[in-house]
Amino acid sequence: MTFLRRVAREPLAHFLVVGALLFGGLSIVKATQRPTVTLDAQDLNQLATYWEVQMQRPPNKVELAGIIRDRIDEELLAREALRLGLDKGDMIIRRRLAQKVAFATDDTAEVAEPTDKALREYYAKTSDHYAAPARVAFQQVFFSGDRPHGGAQKAAAQAIGRAEEGGREDPTGDPFLFPLAYDDVSIADLLRDYGPAFVKTLETAPVGSWQGPVLSPYGWHIVKVTTRHQAASVAFEAVRDQVREAYLTERRAEANAAFLRTLRKRYRVVVAGVPEN
Amino acid sequence: MEGMGTREQQVKHRQAHGRAIIAAVIAIGTGGAALAAATPASAPVAPAATARPAGRLPGYSADRNAYFGDLHVHTGLSFDAYIFNVRATPDDAYRFAKGDTIGHASGFNIRRSGGPLDFTAVTDHSEYMGGMREANDPSRPLSKSPLVQGLFSPDPKAIRAAFDKVVALSHAGQMPKEFSAPDVAGRAWTDVKAAAARNNDPGRFTTFVGYEFTSAPDGRNLHRNVIFRTAKVPTLPYTSTMSANPEDLWRTMDGWRAKGIDVLAIPHNSNGSDGLMFEPTKRDGTPMDRAYAELRMRNEPLAEITQIKGTSEVHPSLSPNDEWANFEIMERYIGGNKPVTKFKGSYVREALKDGILMRETKGFNPFKFGFIGSSDTHNAAPGSVEERNFFSKVGRSDGTPAQRGSIPPGGARTWPADTPDSAHATGPYQAWGASGLAGVWAEENSREAIFAALRRKETFATSGPRIRVRFFAGYDLPDDLAKHTNLVHEAYAKGVPMGSDLKPSPSQGKGAGKAPKFLIWGVRDPNSGYLQRAQVVKGWVENGVAKEQVFDVACSDKLALNKTTWRCPDNGASVNLTTCEPEPFKGDVELRTLWTDPTFKPKQRAFYYLRVLENPSCRWSTWDAIRNGTPPNPTLAKTVMERAWSSPIWYEPKA
Repeated sequence: MTFLRRVAREPLAHFLVVGALLFGGLSIVKATQRPTVTLDAQDLNQLATYWEVQMQRPPNKVELAGIIRDRIDEELLAREALRLGLDKGDMIIRRRLAQKVAFATDDTAEVAEPTDKALREYYAKTSDHYAAPARVAFQQVFFSGDRPHGGAQKAAAQAIGRAEEGGREDPTGDPFLFPLAYDDVSIADLLRDYGPAFVKTLETAPVGSWQGPVLSPYGWHIVKVTTRHQAASVAFEAVRDQVREAYLTERRAEANAAFLRTLRKRYRVVVAGVPEN
Repeated sequence: MEGMGTREQQVKHRQAHGRAIIAAVIAIGTGGAALAAATPASAPVAPAATARPAGRLPGYSADRNAYFGDLHVHTGLSFDAYIFNVRATPDDAYRFAKGDTIGHASGFNIRRSGGPLDFTAVTDHSEYMGGMREANDPSRPLSKSPLVQGLFSPDPKAIRAAFDKVVALSHAGQMPKEFSAPDVAGRAWTDVKAAAARNNDPGRFTTFVGYEFTSAPDGRNLHRNVIFRTAKVPTLPYTSTMSANPEDLWRTMDGWRAKGIDVLAIPHNSNGSDGLMFEPTKRDGTPMDRAYAELRMRNEPLAEITQIKGTSEVHPSLSPNDEWANFEIMERYIGGNKPVTKFKGSYVREALKDGILMRETKGFNPFKFGFIGSSDTHNAAPGSVEERNFFSKVGRSDGTPAQRGSIPPGGARTWPADTPDSAHATGPYQAWGASGLAGVWAEENSREAIFAALRRKETFATSGPRIRVRFFAGYDLPDDLAKHTNLVHEAYAKGVPMGSDLKPSPSQGKGAGKAPKFLIWGVRDPNSGYLQRAQVVKGWVENGVAKEQVFDVACSDKLALNKTTWRCPDNGASVNLTTCEPEPFKGDVELRTLWTDPTFKPKQRAFYYLRVLENPSCRWSTWDAIRNGTPPNPTLAKTVMERAWSSPIWYEPKA
């Protein structure tokens, strides 16, 4: 007894007893404070909605219980995976996380609505993007390259000579498989079908009189341009929406590039042992 | 650009931009290795063209323009193209068609050297569409399929093995069904539709939504491309995994049409069908009837008669009197090495003859189709059929000259004495040709106008160059029509164009029993050779037998046509095989004439089509050899005569 009494008076014993109580108590507290999987009303609603979208009807009670059980199972497995570090070095997870940040910055780095002045300046810089393609209407007379002894060029020159002398009748030549009169054709199409020399004449010839002869891969032509629409830029007002869209797209791209630059500053990047920055 | 309102464009821009940054982030995360995301980082920001003008498009012509295109194009969405290492998308294919540069699976850049095309349809195999892309993506369930093991390799031998494996499983109906899952096909089909919508630009460039129905009973080719008129298309394609019988496809197409989805199908590579494409019975062996002929012709007004895997116009054994029949002949099964043994039923001229004979004896014609050509590229490279700029068509398998047998094996400078010919070579590629373009005569460059031309068969095929051919028939065409400057306008007014029926002339009175006259007109492609001769191919029924004759009708170089033999004298055109320079001053810019059939009999059923030939020029294999500084493969033709074929005109006497 004296031994026990002596022990009971020992500070070391007090320490051990208090320690044991604390340990036991903490264990109990710890057991009651296991990590919690919580599904709140909002989660449940969302699960039910997903299900309904798939099945085209609301789940019944049994199905709802199943949905909830599956969702909890999924959560438990996911948390266990995280605890075991299975997210490390996984390409799909890395890609998904990167996507989420990219989308998030895309949404948060909201680009301010541009002013009219900003848009006009941007349009002035990029107006060639909105150019209506050059188009032309013209008539032509064709002299086939298959005429012997350079006859096509000679005949074309004679025809233009007669026209310049003020001949009243329209000149005539050989049949041609392409249209002899174009009401409205883009310069790009002509460039492909006739080549650059021919197109240059159409772009520069005075309107309303016969010009030429001009050579094409098919023979010699004389041409009369009736109307010409230069590759005029389209007025700002007509393409305002497109300008705004292009402007915003460029600003967003800049914002994203800036974000990536900031990130780069925050990290050291080492590629194959060589520091990049 | 249908259905592409401003809001959708904004979404599009936003998505493209989102993808761009993702690609950037991914590239940082992995050093960019192996993850080159499917979508190019540089999304185009070019604004849409100015709004479509009301009414006619620029370039509209009431007398119709020739437009050139490719209606047979595969991208990485096709199971075989993906196995061939092709990763290009439908957008890449449309960019290539418009003249842009894209990447080849073997790592070099490719671009058309001729002008951009006017129209294109991406036609990926509907079987397992998009399946291989997902099978090679670890984030997709399909990548866990046991079949995927070893399926994707850059090694041509492994590629061949993988391709054979999938084709064998497919023919046996044993492909894992998850490769045909609706969600997999749906994602690919969505890409196909979206790319067609994005790239359609009326007046400049027309796209069609399409796919390939890849049926091949016992490996005998019954493939056809299905082309939709507008953006209104079915939820998913009808594929040969549902039925290998084309009659089931046609009935399905009838059903679509009843729902307002206009569509037509174009069979191809009859040369690899071993007699099956134009067999004289229904697929189940029962006799054909009028309902069958109508079903077939309602759905298949055209045939693709030339493409990289050979030309199916005519075989020398079927037409021994046609000196030009031996053009890019390919005598193997498609996707296999088995030799073809049945040429009848495999070539279109013979089928046209069988058709008019059936019309004569049974009252219906199941083979009354017009012609187009197309490439069948699996490199997402529409119109890549230029001899001088040819990289063949199956990605990593035939991307180099050595792989396609055009330079000596193993880096040698000369050819071994035992160099195998095309019938014995290990690969099929040396026998393939740089051929196949589709031509149409349409008022303007739009889906509606071009589809209408396809439907009425006012189409032609070329072996690659943009040769333009006109072909009209009529009894009242003026004798000097070929000299009139407005002859096309007159020809439309007084005759019928290619693809049409020519009705009999009045049986009595003035003009009774008159022979038809034909307006013949071909104009060269400025980027290709000069024209040598124009020919009319006639088929007719005489005493219950179908016969044929090839008439030269216009000669180049002012040479006189021999009207006994119906042959032009040789114009002596040649080509220097060390430089590929043609001999100068040979051939014509255009060939034009009015021809009257001297053998016409009012009661004889007949068809006529035009064939225009260029002077000889270097074959692609010769160009490859010259660039390599070695002699051309001694077993191959050194030159080809590029050509164009019009759709036929049928003379339909009273029954």
